[in-house]
Amino acid sequence: MSRAKRAGRWLVERVEDRGVWRRIAIYAASIALLLLFWEVASVIIRALKEGREYLPNPVVAIREMVRLGPFLFRNFWISAWRLVLAILLAFAAGYPLGLLIGHERKLDELVSPIIYIIYPIPQVAFILILFLIFGMGHPVKVAIVAIALFFQLLVSARGAAKQISLEHVTSVLSSGASRWQVYRHVILPATLPSILTSLRVSVGLGMAFLYIAETTGSFDPERGGLGVFIYNNMYSTGQAFAGILAMALLGFCLYIVIDVIERVVCRWTYVGRRPS
Amino acid sequence: MIELRDVVVDYGRGARAVRAVDRISLDVARGQSVALIGPSGCGKSTLLFAVAGLLRASSGEIRIAGEPVEGPRRDTALILQNAGLLPWKTVWQNANLSLVLGKEYPKVTADAVLGELGLSDVRNRYPAELSEGMKRRVGIARALSTSPHVMLMDEPLASLDTLTKERIQDLFLKLWARHAFSFVLVTHDIEEAAFLGQRVVVLSPRPAWIKAVVDNPGMGNLDYRTSPEFRDVVVRLRRELEREA
Repeated sequence: MSRAKRAGRWLVERVEDRGVWRRIAIYAASIALLLLFWEVASVIIRALKEGREYLPNPVVAIREMVRLGPFLFRNFWISAWRLVLAILLAFAAGYPLGLLIGHERKLDELVSPIIYIIYPIPQVAFILILFLIFGMGHPVKVAIVAIALFFQLLVSARGAAKQISLEHVTSVLSSGASRWQVYRHVILPATLPSILTSLRVSVGLGMAFLYIAETTGSFDPERGGLGVFIYNNMYSTGQAFAGILAMALLGFCLYIVIDVIERVVCRWTYVGRRPS
Repeated sequence: MIELRDVVVDYGRGARAVRAVDRISLDVARGQSVALIGPSGCGKSTLLFAVAGLLRASSGEIRIAGEPVEGPRRDTALILQNAGLLPWKTVWQNANLSLVLGKEYPKVTADAVLGELGLSDVRNRYPAELSEGMKRRVGIARALSTSPHVMLMDEPLASLDTLTKERIQDLFLKLWARHAFSFVLVTHDIEEAAFLGQRVVVLSPRPAWIKAVVDNPGMGNLDYRTSPEFRDVVVRLRRELEREA
């Protein structure tokens, strides 16, 4: 059976799987519960602040979302590609480098002190320098997020590579594996589950950095993105919350994508589990 | 087939060096089996890893098929304590791993060996879905896939229940007769050593040196476990292990 056919059959099986519908039902219930909390919080704040609408109710926010549809979607799209590009760049650089540092002891001794010095510095502290280097357009926004996530993924990958069971490495070395084959058959697959968890954390962190990057620099000719949308509508809370909802939707979509990737590349972590 | 001459293995260097193996000399002829038995942590696995080419002997000489061992060899297979299976690979991928690493796959595959060990039906399963006994059989399949002349085993059946352990020992005996490889088994299980070793080498506590060599010519058939001869060998091995150096 061809690889494409196998992948197709696997997808159909997953969709037919009752577990998928159960998960969708749980998600729907969670969203309903969240909207209920929001409504309650909105009513309480309105009562406490003499009828002022600091926190609009969800119906208002959703209505604004629909009303501002195409404009909001344009900004959603700008933020989405900036965030995805930044995550991809950070992943492509941080993951392999983290694995190398984690597995090669001499490299670790050399590079780790540098990372320990740079990592705790909030990367937004370099924002001015980045604006000077990259200018005011799209690249600087992607760069700010990518640099922050790079360290996060690098440190995670390094930690994951250090946790690898010696037995697995010995097992392939005894079969005459080359250094590259040890990475290909042991280190890469063994670290995938924890790097995907780190990627989930990166989505949340990346959003925060993207907001900062998008709202800094008011002379930017390529303004746009959900950060700017929320910032500009700060005093029209219904519209601001439409932007916040769009940001939540963006994060949610990325989490789903990471979940699907995990199901495909870390299939082994889903088998042999005892029912809980 | 395997020759060890005054093999010494030290961990660390200079004043902080710790001796794990102390001047061991041993010969294992083609098709012969030797069991190394000794207390936990005595250095028997270290010796086996040196023969497998994963550790370098500090002094002395290790040869396989007349050639000095300078690293892992294609004609030598090592089976580790927990079978050394990679959890992210299926049974089939684990069994073929040595062939893939040696770039012999797809010209040679482990399909026949999987069939021989009764694992064809679980070829698409992951190790987490298998019983402990099955995992060990996959480990054996992986080792056999390259048709090795030398099989090295580091407590391959540790932590299995008695019946499963004996079933795999029986299977291993059959495979040995069929494939005619030489093997060195490291174990701390006296009965396992007596059932699988044509010669049983008793090692001292660390650093390991040879305390005694017990010949065991009666081994080789499945009923051996119930014979008086087997019991005699077990008693002798126990005495040798308990004897103060």
